[in-house]
This record gives sequence, structure tokens and C-alpha cells, in this order.
Amino acid sequence: MKNIIFDFEYLAPKTLEEALTLLSQYDEEECKVIAGGQSLLILMRQRLITPEYLIDIKGISDLDYIKFDEKEGLKIGALTTHRAIEKSPVIQKEFSVLSEMEQNLSNVETRNWGTIGGDIAHADPCGDPAVVLIALNAKIKMTGSSGERTVDAEDFTLDYFETALHHDELLTEIQVPTLPPNTGVKFTKFSQIVGDLGLASVAMLITLDENKETCSDVRIALGGVAIAPMRAKKAEDMLKGKKISDALLAEAGQVASEETSPTTDVQASEEYRRDLIKVLVKRVGNEALARAKKA
Amino acid sequence: MSEYSIIGKPTTNVDGAAKVSGEAVYTFDMTLPNMLYGKLLRSPHPHARIISIDTSEAEKLPGVKAVITGKDTPGGRYGLWRRFPELCDQEVLATTKVRFIGDPVAAVAAVSEAIAENALDFINVEYELLPAVFEPLDAIKDDAPLVHDDCDNNINNTRHIEWGDVDEGFKNSDYIREDRFIYSSQHPAPTEVHNSLASYDKGNGRLTVWSSTQSPYYLQLGLADGLKMREGDIRVIKPHVGGGFGGKNSTMPDSVNAAVLSMKTGRPVKIVFNREEEFTCTEHRTAMHLAVKIGLKKDGTIMAKEFKLITDGGAYTALGATTLYLTGTYATFPYKIPSYRYDGVRTYTNKMWATSVRNFGGTEAIYASETQLDRAAHDLGIDPIEIRRKNAMTPGYEAPGQYNVGSCGLLPSIDKVEERIKEKWTDLSKDEGVGFTLFAYMCGGIFNWIDTPYAFSGAMVKVNIDGTVDLFTQGSDIGQGTNTVNVMICAEELGIGIEDIRLHPADTATTPVDLGAWASRETMMNGNAVKDAASNVKKKLIEVARMKLGENIVYDLEVKDKRIFLALRPERGFSYYDIVKDAIKLNDGEPILGVGHYTPHRKGMVSPAWSFGSMAIRVKVDRETGLVEVKDVIVAHDCGQPINPLGVRGQVEGSVHLGLGWGLCEDLPTDNGLILNPSFADYKIFRTRDMPQIELHEVPTYEPGGPFGAKESAEGAVAPTSPAIANAIYNVTGATFDSNVLKPEKVLKAIREKEGKEN
Amino acid sequence: MKKELKFVVNGNPYDIWVEPNTLLVQVLRDELGLRGTHRACDSGTCCACTVNLDGMAVKSCSILALQANGREILTIEGMANGAELHPIQQAFIDNWAFQCGFCTSGQIMASNALLKENPNPTREEVQLQMDGHLCRCTGYNMINEAIRDAAGRLQAQKSQEKTK
Repeated sequence: MKNIIFDFEYLAPKTLEEALTLLSQYDEEECKVIAGGQSLLILMRQRLITPEYLIDIKGISDLDYIKFDEKEGLKIGALTTHRAIEKSPVIQKEFSVLSEMEQNLSNVETRNWGTIGGDIAHADPCGDPAVVLIALNAKIKMTGSSGERTVDAEDFTLDYFETALHHDELLTEIQVPTLPPNTGVKFTKFSQIVGDLGLASVAMLITLDENKETCSDVRIALGGVAIAPMRAKKAEDMLKGKKISDALLAEAGQVASEETSPTTDVQASEEYRRDLIKVLVKRVGNEALARAKKA
Repeated sequence: MSEYSIIGKPTTNVDGAAKVSGEAVYTFDMTLPNMLYGKLLRSPHPHARIISIDTSEAEKLPGVKAVITGKDTPGGRYGLWRRFPELCDQEVLATTKVRFIGDPVAAVAAVSEAIAENALDFINVEYELLPAVFEPLDAIKDDAPLVHDDCDNNINNTRHIEWGDVDEGFKNSDYIREDRFIYSSQHPAPTEVHNSLASYDKGNGRLTVWSSTQSPYYLQLGLADGLKMREGDIRVIKPHVGGGFGGKNSTMPDSVNAAVLSMKTGRPVKIVFNREEEFTCTEHRTAMHLAVKIGLKKDGTIMAKEFKLITDGGAYTALGATTLYLTGTYATFPYKIPSYRYDGVRTYTNKMWATSVRNFGGTEAIYASETQLDRAAHDLGIDPIEIRRKNAMTPGYEAPGQYNVGSCGLLPSIDKVEERIKEKWTDLSKDEGVGFTLFAYMCGGIFNWIDTPYAFSGAMVKVNIDGTVDLFTQGSDIGQGTNTVNVMICAEELGIGIEDIRLHPADTATTPVDLGAWASRETMMNGNAVKDAASNVKKKLIEVARMKLGENIVYDLEVKDKRIFLALRPERGFSYYDIVKDAIKLNDGEPILGVGHYTPHRKGMVSPAWSFGSMAIRVKVDRETGLVEVKDVIVAHDCGQPINPLGVRGQVEGSVHLGLGWGLCEDLPTDNGLILNPSFADYKIFRTRDMPQIELHEVPTYEPGGPFGAKESAEGAVAPTSPAIANAIYNVTGATFDSNVLKPEKVLKAIREKEGKEN
Repeated sequence: MKKELKFVVNGNPYDIWVEPNTLLVQVLRDELGLRGTHRACDSGTCCACTVNLDGMAVKSCSILALQANGREILTIEGMANGAELHPIQQAFIDNWAFQCGFCTSGQIMASNALLKENPNPTREEVQLQMDGHLCRCTGYNMINEAIRDAAGRLQAQKSQEKTK
């Protein structure tokens, strides 16, 4: 069995300030931050990532919280576990799409220890949370020695395993705005094995006007079909201001699939991933629409 | 049968408390004092000549105690087909050439696993790359690179089976069809990886090896051949094993290298594969090209069948040659085929060698047969269940010169599943379909390629003064429940309780030979040996009881419920415990010993008996994504007299799980000999949410040649799943498949092609 | 450089020093000799190594030992009450919920956490929570039945204790 066979120095800051100080002390190539380690430890056992200094922030309890306010929206601390999000009554009520996504993310054992911040900072192109957060118009807050800044979720992941985080910054909070009235959100990923990593995934937010007829806003986020989770803006433009029908969703799906740049790998071809996007946009759109109508 | 006290009653696992407490010891958990850890350096090339190996840097590393290459090994060649020395083509470490990515060229023993692994980076090997061949159809060409220099056209082995007049049969057929299939490889993927612990006794030169193996005896032979030692100087002990599924029959590099390293260092050495090595460098199913031609009358009667096969054997033989024999046989199951002709070829290729996975040979052959039969039924306008019923084997059927079928519950199993489909699946949506297939499996093989002079299974029973029993047998429990079955058989035969018996299994030094857990042989062969041994003890006890009763020989005595008594006057008898005491006193104070064995005789050439069954699978096809969901499974199974219904159900459920994987999502794609998905993240296995519930019906029969009428259970049930799924998809969409592993992308493509043809 | 690890395992406090690169499963198996927790994969995808950490089911191969500092671990060795098997263990035996047994410790530990959180789960709820566990032998259904049987036994045990 593979263990971590290289040595490293282990540092366990108790506060955010301590952690940021440590980050600024070491070079990017020398050190790595670990939270739950559910993705990172596997890579370390494969000797794909071999830091000399490992900064363990899992113990920073200040970053473990879920706060909801009608006006401010949802604020999730970066070190909140997937399981806590899955089980949170306020998230189940106000942002059910998040807890649904978490319920199908990996397995309970991973979710009990892995954190949402760690997941998004890891930036796996198949990662589910990032896709849902883009659809929810979330912002990612980053804190460094020089202060805080936020970016839109869709601007956070840049490339395979690469994010907007500067070396001396930590992802500290995820901010999800309150959903406008008449809004429905749905996320679905496609895999042959239930709950597995998705070959492709779609999250859609649909807001209807006060008559619940026309779509006043739509956000379509796609996962696993580009170097990072992305928005299908052209497909969104097709739906905005229109009455959403099956046929229109099918067209939007076609357009969305053309916006992607998937790759072929041992699991599926790029053509099939595009096919999946077509189908998923249609199906997810219908479900988001139904939720918007009920909202 | 209510006449039994123990047989046929649900019985919990005799190893249960140990397994649920974490106390069951697997080789994986074992350590010995002063133990070293070994690691293998493996070839990164599929085919290359070894020019030089420099181990000097690695040897200097602190904590490294030995580094060996081929020249440091005793130089013996080994393999499982020992009757044919040319097929014993394996070495402990490659000496002249490497033949697949992963072929071991060196081994390190060090004081920690980390040091051993690190040391591999310090061994320098110079290779001369050679052209490689990966596809069997390429490998047989005249200009193909030779994997073994002395083997023309890379043809490792061939097999021909024939009976009746096939050409005449086709002439008399109203309908003939030919189909070609590719059955691709899967990995057994047991949860416990291959691992071995070897300990060499510097004093007497004897070796003890603990290993995660399906056959301690086979491993003992392989070690003896590879290390050029006497068999008897090698002791192989099989602790608990975390699954084998066909991948742990052969002598593997972990055992032989641990042994050589132990001999060199004078310390115990343990080698544990990691999961990547497990996927890339251990045995998996033999992929193959199948060409099947079948001739039928217009009423669906099968007249003739011709079957050609070419298999991808990989770099060495091991058990792989057996594929040809079994696949060629299973292509006729479970139907009465008046005339049959088969030719099979196994080729060498530059890949990890391929052999067996559960339902060896049957899974592949039955995929082709059952898929083809549905197509024929469709063309002839005959119901797929009816066409099977018409041609199904019946009790006593004989394939001329090949095999006999004893008991056979196939027809009742067809009736049962058909009845349940009609009762249960009345609400199929337009996207749902049903596939119906038959299955059959052997109860161990009659072949002796291992070239053993021993009985195929042996057992020894020792009865102590207090009536407790020690049962010694090499039968291998790898999870299938053999330990429990053996104790149950012994208890029933002696008329005592499970709690009276201690089992001593799977130690080549202390137990009589059993050939191991493969081809589902344990219940039939090992069970019979255990029963034989127990019956020899029973005879002695009955003799003593008869003497005490003073009854003549014509009057039968029986044992049951810890008593030995007159069959006709049960109140006249004695307690088992009292008779045991008397028997020992009458035997010069020696414990009572019974030795037994079993070797099949006059049972044809293949197997002493066969299990049978029918299976129906209900699937739902997503026509837009190609995703196939398995909604429900109905199985009717004839395993003779079930010994332990709990165990039988467990085996059926496990078989269906594997079979669904092999039909839908498990495969081993390669690129230039490199397996591309060597982890559970990428090698997709059904999890609990993917499994449907399985409705199981027993079709009891009685196999006279089996212990208490028992046959093997459930290995047959792996095979029908792939074709049932393919047939169900065909019934929903009209799309056909010439290969297994129906991943969504493949299914979607086939659906579109079918729709395209129709437009 | 070794660092101090103070934690409780199966009710026993430990104060040991470990290299930072040590995984929790290595400490349990190699340092503490608790070999009932097994390992079956190198990708965190099989859950054979599942233990309970502060009552939660976690994969011990995917947690650094030092992250367990100050925590309470329960392994398979801590389930039985002396010589008396835990109802979950007994239910597994009675329902033939294991065959080779190699993944069983992880299954039982996950069941333990599951039943504490959800004392009366449906078949689907059990499937959802046991989804990470790879078993090659059983096909999962008999494990599912064992867990629900265990739920009943634990409820019965609770009622008995209440009436005492």
C-alpha cells in the first residue's frame, strides 16, 4: 500500500493570522496547505505533490461556520465540512441545491473530514461544489497578509488545479446571495456509478418574473467539460427574457455543448461529454424551472 | 431435506466472530520478528532485452539488506501446466528479457517499506527496446515480434473439441447465423492485494511461506519448481484471504521473491503489492475474440455449432492455457448440441498475462452463446424463453466423449423464472426491457495439468477422548464459505454439532492435499474428501457400538444428534461421547483417526457434476444518455442439495454483482500494453446504490456424486448477466452489441446507429 | 522531525511521537498493533480503513495521524464489550453479511456511526450512507439487511435498558 514516503515539516497554526504568517514565510514551491486532505493526501502518497512544509489549517475553528441572514445571504466558513453543509437545516431549507450536491459528493467518510474550502481550492475540474456555486452567483473570499478580497465563483478556478489564490492567501469564506423570489436551482452530474465523479455536470439557476412566465435571469454552470467549471453564457442569453419551453431548453443545451472544450480520456470521449451537456441542460433546466414555479 | 440435522440449515460462518472483530488474521496483517520489507522493480517497457542491471547504489543505502536480480535466483522455471514443461515459462525475476510493462527485474529487502520503495529508484537497468505486440490477431502473424523466442507465431496453446458431424448438422439446418464477439478483460480486484511473507530456516534449509493464495498446494509446487527445492521442504500456509476470484491461483512474484530474499538475508521478508501493482501486474480475465456459427431448425432446435476462439494470453502461461479448454466447453452449455466443433488458440502478447476470473471460460462463452441465441430466436419468431426450453440439457445428458451431466434442474429453473417474470414484471415502461439467459458451471475440473500424483482432495479427522474433533484439510476458504461447509459436512456425517469440531485448514505441512479454490471445486471435491474421512471414523465408531449392542451385521446403525443407534430401534443406542471413549480405549489409547480423499473417476473429461440455473434481468435504458439501470434480477438456481442456504445466497448475490460489473462498467483499457485505469477511482465497480435486489429461488435436485447431494453454488450466475443485459437492451431499443461492458457511451452509439438504420 | 500525538483510542489514552508523514491508519496498525482496520486501495475510494473519529465515520488512510491529536478514535477492536459482541457485529454474523471479511471492519465502523445518527434507517438511507464501501464478495444487499437488523437489536436493547 502506498504511504507518504518523503519527509516534511508539519506546522499546525491555531489561528488565521498564524497561518497567513507561515504562508508568507515559505515559497510557493516549498509549502502546501492542507485542510481535510481528502484529495491532497492521495496525491502526496503518489509523490505527485511533495512539499517540504505542510501547513495544516484544519484546526482553525474560526473558519468553521454556517451563517444565514435574509439580507446578507449565506456565509460558509472555508473549513466547514461537506457533511455539515449536507446536514445543515438552514441550507436544506434555503439552498437545498447545495445539500443535494453534497449528498452525492464522494462518500460520507470523505464528507465528514473534507472541507468545502479545501475542495474548491483544490480545483479539480470535476469538482461539484464549484459548479453549484457558480450557478448560485456565489463569491469567494480570500484573505492574505495584505487583506481580504472577493472574486466571483466563476473567476476563482482558472485551470486544472489552479485558482485565483495568490500564494500568501487562504480561501476563507464562501458567500452565497439570497435567492431572488421565483428562483429555482438544480444540479445534476452524470456518472454510470451512482454518486461517482461526474463525466459532466450542470447546475442551473432560473428566476422567473412575477407572473412566473418569463425567465428574468438564468445562470448555467457546467462541470467536467473544460479546464475549469464554466458558465455557458451563450446558452443563458438564449433563455433570458423568454418563456422557457422544452424545445428552447433543447436548443440551449445544443448551444451550451458548443461552448465547452471537453477532453477525451479513458472514461469518455469529448463528443460524448458534449452530448451529455445537451441532455443535462434540458433536464436540469426543466427541474430548475419547476422549482422556480413552486418558489 | 428434513432428514438432515445440519445440512441445508442456515448456518453462520465458523470464522464469523473473528472476522467481525478484526481478529481474523490475513497475510496482510502478519509480521514476524526481525522481518524485512520487500519491493519489486518492474520493467517500464512492454518488450525489451535486459542489457545490464547495476544494483550497487541501491545496496549501499542505509537499511537495505539485499538487492537481487535474476542471476541471484535459483533459476528454476515454473508454471501451473506442469505436465508440459514448455508451458512452465516463468522465472522468479526476468533474466534475459522483459515481456510486459511490470515484469519484475529486481527485488529489494529493507528494514522498512519506505526504504525498500525508495531504493528502487537507485537500481539502474539498461534495456534494449524491442518491438512489441499487443493484439492476438497481430501476434499470430508471421512477422510479429516473438514474445518467447522459441514460440512460433506466439501460439502458446491450442485446443480442439469435436463431436458429431458438424457439416452435416449445418446442412440439415433451416437457419444458420454467424456472429463475432469480443469479450474484454476485467480484473478480479480482491480487496486484499497479493502479498506474501516468507521465512527461511537457516538451520534446516526449510522455507515457510504465508500467502494470500487460493491454493496452498499450487503455490508449494510453484515455489519448489522456481526455487529448485523439494516440495516437502516448503511449507505454505494460507491465512484468511481477502478474496481471490480467480486471480490468486498462480505462483506470483510476491511469493517467490519474498522466498529468495529471505533465503539471502536469513530474515523473514514480506512483499505487499500496492493497488496499482494489483491492477497492472496481477492476473485478470483473458480477453478474447469469439466467432460462433450456429445452425437451427426453424422450430428452434439446435443442430450444429462451430466455435472459434483466439485469446489474448499476455506474456506467460500460468493458468491461461486452461482458458481454451473451458471456454470451448462452456460454449455448449447448457444446451443439447448434436454436433460441435471448436478450435481455440491462445497467443502470447506483451501484456500482463491473463488467466482466470470467476466463472473462468463460462462468462466469455456464454456471453457469445446467449446473445446469439436471442438474435436467432428473434429471426425465427420464437420466444427467447421457449427456444431455450426446447434445447435445454436434462438430467443424464452426455456430450459424446466429453462430459456427463448428472443431476440437472435446468428446466424447472426456466419454469420458475418465467413464472416470476409474468407475475412480477407486469408494468414495464417503454424504456424497460427484460433479458433472459441460462447458466451452468462445473464442480471442479477433472484435468490434471498440474501433474499431481495426489488425490484431488484429502482430509483427516481426529477424534479426541472428549468427543471433540480436529478436522485437517487443505481446502481453501477465500470467502466463499468452504470452512463452514466442511465443518457442516463433518458434523452431519458424524452426527455431532458444529461446536464439536475445530478446523485446521490450508497448511501444506499438516493437511492432506487439496488442489485449492478454483473452478468451484471445494464443495464437491473437498466436501467429499471431508465426508470420506468422517465416514471412516464413523465406521470405527459404529463397529464399537455394534459390538456393544451385540447385533448382527445386517442391522444398520446410524449416527445423529450425538447418538449412535439401531436404525430400526433408535432407542437402542449409546451416546456418541461414550462410544468415542470406548473406541479410544480399544485402540491402544490412540485417538480415532479417519483419512479420506476424493478424486473424480468415470465422470467424463471435464467435471464430475454441473450446477444450472436461469436468470432474468430487468433494465431501464435512458435513450438520450445510453445509461442502463439494472432494476431487478430474478434467479433460479440448481446447486443440488444446498449445504448452507446462507452461503448459497451470499454466493449468488456476489456473483450477480461481479457479473453486472462485467456487463456494464468494469474493463481494463490498455494503450501500448499500459493499463490505463489502475485504481478504484478509474476502474468502475458497482457500489451498494447500483445494486438491485435479487430474488433467488432454489431448485433443489440431488447429485449422487456430491456430498449429501451437493454441487457447486453460484459461480455459474456470473455469466448470464452480461448477455441478459445485452438482450434486454436489444428488446428495448433493437440495438445489438458484439462486446460486453456496455458503458453509456457505447450504448448510446449503438442506439443511434440502430435509429439511423431505421431512418 | 517527530511530533507529539495525544489521543484516545478505544477508550485508552496514548501519548506517542510520530513522523508527520504518518497516516492515521499506519499509527493504528503499526504503532498500536490494531490490525483489524484494513487497507485495500491507494486512492481513498474503498473505505475499508473506516474508523470512528469523534463518532464520525472517516477513512483512516486519508487523515494524517497528527490531525487526530486531541481526538477520540474507535476501531473495530473497540466494538465488542469484553467477550460480548456488539449487536452490529452479531447482526453481521447472523445475516451472512461478510464472506472474505477483509472490508468488514470498515463496514461495521461505518454502520456504527450511521446507526448512532439514524437509529431506524430505511434500505435507501443505508445505501446512501454506505455508498463508499467497496465489497467484492457480497453484492451489498446482505450487508444492508444486517445493518437494519442491527438497528432493531439496538432499539430493543435501548428499550430493555429503559425498563430496567
